[in-house]
Amino acid sequence: MDFPEDLQYTAEHEWIRQTGTGLRIGITDYAQDQLGDIVFVDLPEVGAALERGAVMAEIESTKSVGEVYAPFSGTVLSVNADVVDEPELINQDPYGGGWLVELADVADDGDELLDATAYRALVE
Amino acid sequence: MTERSAIHESHADLGARFVDFGGWEMPVQYSSVLDEHNAVRSSVGVFDVSHLGRFSWQGPDAVDALSQAFCNDIARLQPGRTQYTMALDQSGGILDDIILWRWSESLIWVLPNAANSDSITQICLDLAPGATAVDLRPMTTSLAIQGPEAPALLERLFGVAPKRGTIHHVDLDGAEVWVAGTGYTGERGGEVVVANESAALVFAAVVEAGAVPAGLGARDTLRLEAALPLWGQDLDASITPLEAGLDFAVSFDHEFTGKAALEAQVADGVAKHRVLFETEGRLIPRHGYRVRADVREGWVSSGNFSPTLGHGIGMAYIDGPPAGDLDLEVEIRREWHRARIVDRFLDR
Repeated sequence: MDFPEDLQYTAEHEWIRQTGTGLRIGITDYAQDQLGDIVFVDLPEVGAALERGAVMAEIESTKSVGEVYAPFSGTVLSVNADVVDEPELINQDPYGGGWLVELADVADDGDELLDATAYRALVE
Repeated sequence: MTERSAIHESHADLGARFVDFGGWEMPVQYSSVLDEHNAVRSSVGVFDVSHLGRFSWQGPDAVDALSQAFCNDIARLQPGRTQYTMALDQSGGILDDIILWRWSESLIWVLPNAANSDSITQICLDLAPGATAVDLRPMTTSLAIQGPEAPALLERLFGVAPKRGTIHHVDLDGAEVWVAGTGYTGERGGEVVVANESAALVFAAVVEAGAVPAGLGARDTLRLEAALPLWGQDLDASITPLEAGLDFAVSFDHEFTGKAALEAQVADGVAKHRVLFETEGRLIPRHGYRVRADVREGWVSSGNFSPTLGHGIGMAYIDGPPAGDLDLEVEIRREWHRARIVDRFLDR
């Protein structure tokens, strides 16, 4: 299982990438593997203000229904419309084409993030 | 105590993930539910269904004695054939749905759902204490081989491509194999019971012959597309066969437990009925979601994304008897969405 060194992680199985404009967020290789084939994704409106812990995305697989929570408060800068039409991108490329949401104006109100080594230790 | 199939190691070697189902630890998926589903629709897949109940039932008059236990008419079941039937309680509620394999006048196999195996055995024994019931599960393995290429595979490996609803006893170089033209996917093919000693070899040969190992995840999406109900979800003791639309498996020509309750429903109309429906796009109905149609209410008994159709499908129960065109809506994440009632999901 792949956990890139240049990303940070949450205990809720999200990855976070610092971009020039904010934080790009997706679910980890472990999370997509646990969910199985993803067949539905619902993402927030661009511009929506999310409180930390609010539902940021809904993800359904053939096996289950899951929710992704905002790890920090912030404003939705952009969403990945590709995964709405092709949810399997999350299974195929969780850290690339399968990203979910980019948050801007992020508050410093989340839990401390994990590095790749610490996250790997959590799930293995 | 969790039971395991005799070929558990074969599944583990293939990378299977396991799930507890009716007290049995069975493969839920190997690679991907979608890939396994599509393999069964387009070519052929193999499922280990050893968790399903199966007991032999034998004795003079023993088979006739079961007439009272089941709502379909066992007297109409000829040797060499299978029959879909149900055990009901006094109020007509479905205690289990069951397949019978009749080998001869005095010998049948009874195949209940995994979780109901013991209770159904007891119902039979209460009717005919002198009969011999032998649980076949500890000594046999059951494989479902399903898909458009399944008949050819069965013919090649077992010398028989079973017609729907027929059973065959095959001697394969000294190893006994029992083959039935049955399944739970809406595809052609059959189910094969083998002794545990030869099960790993037979399973390997089936995979070698081209069948894709498929788990219970794909089995569930396949049976849903085929509009086949699952006991415990779409059928239970609060639902009668008439409410479930399973009238074809009810015969009023004989006496059976629950008959009076069903006759009352025929006269007065059913309290609820099962419908099939499709949702728009990727909105996915799930077990337990609410449905409504004007003033009628109901609930989704099974729902998922249909890999074959590319949109959501489900089964639901709605209050009252069937009535023309209902404008069905389903509640998905606190919003009501239009759904379309259909006769079937697949054209086959």
